[in-house]
Amino acid sequence: MTGDGRRVVVTGWGLAVAGLGDAGDLLEPPGDRRDPAPDPVRRLSGRGLRYKDRATKLALVAGRDALRSAGLLGADDSAAVPGDRVGVVVSSNLGNVDTVCDTVQAIAEHTYLGTSPMTLPATSSNVIASWLAITYGFRGANLTLSNGQTSGLDAVHWAATLIAAGRADRVLVAGVEPDNAPVRHVLSGSGMTADPFDGAAALVLEAEPAALDRGARPQAVVGRYARRASLATAVARVTAGAVPVGLWCVPERGSDPTGDVVTGAHRVDLSTAYGPASGALGVLQCVAAVAWLCGPHAGSVLATAGIGDAGGEDAAAAVVLSSYAP
Amino acid sequence: MSWIVTGMGALASVGADADAMVSALIAGRTGLAELRGFDRSRFRARVAYEIDDRPEPGADEPLRATRWLVEAVRAAAADAGLGADLSEVPVLVGTTLRELRSVELCWRDKVPFDVHDLHFGTALRRHFGAADTHTVVNACSASLYALALGADLLDLGHADTVVVAGVDTLTESTYGLLDRCYPEAPDRVRPFDRNRRGMLQGEGAVAVVLRREADGPGPAPRIHARVRGVAVNCDAYHPSAPEAKSIAAVTAEAHRRAGVTPADIDLVMLHGTGTPLNDEAESEAVSAVFAGVEPMPYMTAIKSMTGHTAGASGLHSLVAAVLAMRRGVVPPVLGLTDPVEAVSGFRLVRGAAVRPPEPLRLAQIDSFGFGGLNAVAVVESVEHAGSAA
Repeated sequence: MTGDGRRVVVTGWGLAVAGLGDAGDLLEPPGDRRDPAPDPVRRLSGRGLRYKDRATKLALVAGRDALRSAGLLGADDSAAVPGDRVGVVVSSNLGNVDTVCDTVQAIAEHTYLGTSPMTLPATSSNVIASWLAITYGFRGANLTLSNGQTSGLDAVHWAATLIAAGRADRVLVAGVEPDNAPVRHVLSGSGMTADPFDGAAALVLEAEPAALDRGARPQAVVGRYARRASLATAVARVTAGAVPVGLWCVPERGSDPTGDVVTGAHRVDLSTAYGPASGALGVLQCVAAVAWLCGPHAGSVLATAGIGDAGGEDAAAAVVLSSYAP
Repeated sequence: MSWIVTGMGALASVGADADAMVSALIAGRTGLAELRGFDRSRFRARVAYEIDDRPEPGADEPLRATRWLVEAVRAAAADAGLGADLSEVPVLVGTTLRELRSVELCWRDKVPFDVHDLHFGTALRRHFGAADTHTVVNACSASLYALALGADLLDLGHADTVVVAGVDTLTESTYGLLDRCYPEAPDRVRPFDRNRRGMLQGEGAVAVVLRREADGPGPAPRIHARVRGVAVNCDAYHPSAPEAKSIAAVTAEAHRRAGVTPADIDLVMLHGTGTPLNDEAESEAVSAVFAGVEPMPYMTAIKSMTGHTAGASGLHSLVAAVLAMRRGVVPPVLGLTDPVEAVSGFRLVRGAAVRPPEPLRLAQIDSFGFGGLNAVAVVESVEHAGSAA
């Protein structure tokens, strides 16, 4: 009954990051970030945007692109598959910090009467996943992970687990973090002063038969996952017996404290390139992995987030993605 | 597959451990009190179901949720014979508001707060050496949703033992916005009563230890209960209003996963928040699922005494169901004096706890949250197991 044999494949990706167009751009040195690139949220239009928070809007942009690239949306951008067995998994640590802080400030200044009733749903941190589900009618399992530095990879893991356990046939995964004053206040109070990432990345994961049955072309296979106390342990756990690593997406804080955990692989440091990405990092890394695996490159991709013991963090997570072969 | 509960820990406004909490519920004691941690002058509603552990009245401190979670996990792990080393045990924590109360204090009052404490993994690592930890932010059904994930991990062979927990505090932002949204300030949580005015938040934490039944209790001295099945879904309908047909669907799926029929259920722990929207959707779904079942199962709603403990509430109801079945007593829906028409056929326990003449074997736990997140579990007593399916 467990469906443990069901392979989980990636069939689509989307990005909502200013200045980033293609997943392949993630593998190149970033352009000059001082160039004013258009805000990706401007790609949304229509009713109901006014009361959605920035994190939700960023996730809607990336999620739509992921679903489109997976071939799961019709011409009118509505879902082309029944929603009952489609899940949503979102990772965000700081997504609704702005709503919470703005509200508590309004109460201090104007009592409860100063609050805006329409912001009530956004005080609950699952609001992003809830809007993704409502927008596309996805009625399967709906999860939000707010799990620290590893959260984006944890989200990919839970999406794969929902599919392996048979709770869903396909899952939209999004990792998103907004940049705003309350976010900067909380981060700087914790000694993090770099300009934070502002954006979203999304993936479509499917059970292999669900993808093949509708004629979709898998772009990558989601392999093993581990969340362990140290990066070395997590990496050893997922890479044992796997295809040699061709690309290593390193955790935030670069490769210094992580040393020689992986040797001989090309390295990409997305946190340095695009700002500390917190709960979005792991999903962003997996989008980079898809670009690598669909390109002229060799080897599997190792995505890692969190550095665990080495950085005084609670854990490090690792996921392996490999190229698809029938 | 079935799973067994080998350890339980809980705390709430009405009791500092699982037994004390359930004894209070059976005695019909409420945790309702004057609002303790916020400046009352900023609100119209001035009551809640808080844990009374602040350093002084009117002053709040950060990291209370983390403290309760650690207490509940420690109690459940000890109960299951695991000790304080959870380095090889996944810990899944369901919550609505995480440590967002600490974020509020950090932003408004400049109280120091480390962003690494926004998720609970940091404290779980420090106290238990746990590293495979997951903060699942699934609104008010979070801990029962996490129970489904824990069962899946066991089912897939990813772990032999899993700790599933839930925790929530009040935050001023949610409390103030609820105050803003209700036409009248709620005086207390009155599920399914004509005079209900809405939901009031409660505080608490809860944890259970889950294993595959086939593996037995391991180091635990006893089995508390058998989890027969947990179903989850999403309305995909509205960010805060629930949908009856989706609740009915998730209930039917829970019964199917558990291999039971509605007539097998002896006790329903209703979500019962005392908001008109929840109560109408839930009563419509329960009516549809249990249509033709005679007599209806016993039903209760413990939020009438604990308040809405949000991310903890699903497992709070589960622990209450397990101990209620063991003791053969169903707690009342406190303050339910004038039931709405929609529940006229329901066997709701009112006034005082009841002791049914027949054993209580199978309980259904309802847990629903913002975003249309629904989770329903079916739990079987191990004291009176046997005849059902």
